[in-house]
Amino acid sequence: MEFTPDIGFIRKLKRNSKAPLKQCMQCGNCTVVCELSPVEYPYPRKEMQWAAWGLKDKLVTDPDIWLCHQCGDCSTYCPRGVKPADVLASLRQESIIHHAKPRWMGRLMSYPLFLPVALILPLAIIILILLLAGTLNTQVNPVNYGTFFPHAILNSTFGSLFLLTVIGMIFSIRSFWKDLKKSYPPDKAQKSFFKSFLEAIREIITHRKFNKCQTVKYRTYAHFLVFWGFVILLFVTLFAILSVIFWEYPIPLWNPIKIAGNIAFLMLFTGTSIMIFERIFNKEKAGNTVYFDWVFLIVFYLLILTGPVLEIARFTNWSGGYIWYILHLVLVWFIIIFLPYTKFAHMIYRTIAVAYLRYSGRK
Amino acid sequence: MRNPILVIGGGISGITTAIEIAEVGHEVVLVEKLPYLGGKVIKFHEYFPKLCPPYCGLEINFKRIRENPRIKYFTSSTIEKISGDKGDYQAVIRHEAQMVNNNCTACGACVDVCPVERENEYNYGLDKTKAIYLPHELAFPFKFTIDENACKKQACSKCVEVCDYNAIHLNAIPATTDLKVSSLVFATGWEPYDANKLEILGFGKHPDIITNVMFERFTAPNGPTGGKLLRPSNGETPQNVIFVQCAGSRDENHLPYCSAVCCSASLKHALKVREKNPEAKARIFYIDLRVTGRNEDFLNKVKEDEGIELIKGKAGKIEIENNEIYVIAEDIASGRRLKTKADLVVLATGIVPSAVESIENGTEGFLDQLQNGYIASGCAKRPMDVSASLKDATAAALKAIQL
Repeated sequence: MEFTPDIGFIRKLKRNSKAPLKQCMQCGNCTVVCELSPVEYPYPRKEMQWAAWGLKDKLVTDPDIWLCHQCGDCSTYCPRGVKPADVLASLRQESIIHHAKPRWMGRLMSYPLFLPVALILPLAIIILILLLAGTLNTQVNPVNYGTFFPHAILNSTFGSLFLLTVIGMIFSIRSFWKDLKKSYPPDKAQKSFFKSFLEAIREIITHRKFNKCQTVKYRTYAHFLVFWGFVILLFVTLFAILSVIFWEYPIPLWNPIKIAGNIAFLMLFTGTSIMIFERIFNKEKAGNTVYFDWVFLIVFYLLILTGPVLEIARFTNWSGGYIWYILHLVLVWFIIIFLPYTKFAHMIYRTIAVAYLRYSGRK
Repeated sequence: MRNPILVIGGGISGITTAIEIAEVGHEVVLVEKLPYLGGKVIKFHEYFPKLCPPYCGLEINFKRIRENPRIKYFTSSTIEKISGDKGDYQAVIRHEAQMVNNNCTACGACVDVCPVERENEYNYGLDKTKAIYLPHELAFPFKFTIDENACKKQACSKCVEVCDYNAIHLNAIPATTDLKVSSLVFATGWEPYDANKLEILGFGKHPDIITNVMFERFTAPNGPTGGKLLRPSNGETPQNVIFVQCAGSRDENHLPYCSAVCCSASLKHALKVREKNPEAKARIFYIDLRVTGRNEDFLNKVKEDEGIELIKGKAGKIEIENNEIYVIAEDIASGRRLKTKADLVVLATGIVPSAVESIENGTEGFLDQLQNGYIASGCAKRPMDVSASLKDATAAALKAIQL
């Protein structure tokens, strides 16, 4: 086999992960203490070697980095303080950028300098849509976002944009799938893909693997809350869209769907707050946090926080709510439309990687 | 006449330094905290790579000490205070209460009547002796000693009654000696790393997880099992022994340095497993086999044994399921995460320098940056095997006589 060491990649990885990865002595302690590492070709010892050698091609196409939940056991027990957990986190970022379709979108989204553009562009487009629709009706009694930005226009424009996102995702998944097959050919396939996929989903929704982490338990709980909060809100949103078309809107406060939405907010708020708090005040255990993590986490947090502001504005007939509504939409755009190009993309790759691990029959 | 040279520590380094100094014509005082000379080495069953017993060489050394009027030695003694500057030091030596004096002939009558037991330090607490005991068969000085903490003293006095030589005085008190010395050699040696700190390696959770120094006693004819290698849990002969290298060593969370001797020691132990039971299998999980110099031939000899498997990959975790021990490691050569069952697990714990409080320590507590003309010898300076310690001890002797 022929390898091309990429010195620039080593430097970049060291800079991003802040891990002294050249200190690694290849003892394999990380692989041993990891509760999630598989029997065949376990990680992260081999990734640490590839990283020290600058084998970028192998690393960005490596599915195993997606089996890691960054619980930090490997970093805690590492005899050399190399922090494999942080290295793998950096590799996942590289992998998202590598598989992003179009790839320049992935690159741009990882640059802090691009952030203003990534926020102003959606803002401009939303305002443009509103101007074109000519509906800027900031009615106060009652406050009604539906008159400000009619739902038909909102759903159709955001829906079409999301279609582009989905197309991007499909291409990303295709490229990732090819890499998976190259890394671990499914010659021992015993399960149907569908069944493997269902198993992966079951594993993810129960956080069964995630729960094995020892060093940072809070991470499992926080992610569990955020995950389920998000899932509930997805259903609530879906119902809200249907409600606009078929039933009564706005949904009254006592409606079970509305209550579910508020509970979901609390879950998301609690989970994300823990995540941010730990990353700021418990750096040692939480691991290294870079721009790629922060931008996703903070935008996500703001998105969550703006939700109840809109709700309160509606029930108190506060006209300022319309400004917040626009802000909320910009954040929705950032999180949902840019999904394949931010850290949020982890949900795609991890699901596929976990499903493939089962599908390929790898032990 | 210049003042004598003080050597602190009666292990192989201290003994060698003292003898070398005395044999070139200088006065020397050797101080040892235990009741016997020989340190850690005398507890070893055999040396690597020649697999000969340390008793043999030590016997010669004890004879050299006995016959040389220039060596004065104090056992059960420690240094209480050191003062003064290069070439002119004052030392205060504290002698523990000498309840058994030199009249003792080691007849053993006292042992039979002694009602109290104590943990046997010589066998790393693996068995017990009476409160009055002979440290081991070749103890030098060859006399009984009393464990002050275990002995009931005047309340019992049974040993005093049976002693025909007036050797036991239970009311003896500690004493001190003030000494002017011209040179100071720290041959304070080492302790095995505390395996209780290796929680992830299961020490203390299962009796069949032992350390390398304990293994050494299990193979020695004067050890707790009379030289039979048995599983501490049920007394059966182990069929499947796993050696865990770098148990604490080369690990920032424990000892950040390599202890230098554990690889060769485990190779020796693996051969011992095979010798005791030719049916048994021995596996050594290692990061690197740091077997240097002439020991490489020894490594090649071990490699030829089909019952010994050397596996590259640190055994970083030991799990106990249904009272069975499983060692987890990544076999780096094949890229598999192994979970191997073992009858007996030997943790190759490393070398920790014995704490020396009165002087400034160097790297990780080793005396490698001594000031004020102090000299260090052997494992007090850095981890080394016996043959390296001997060379280092001779070098220390040369330094000491030149001061």
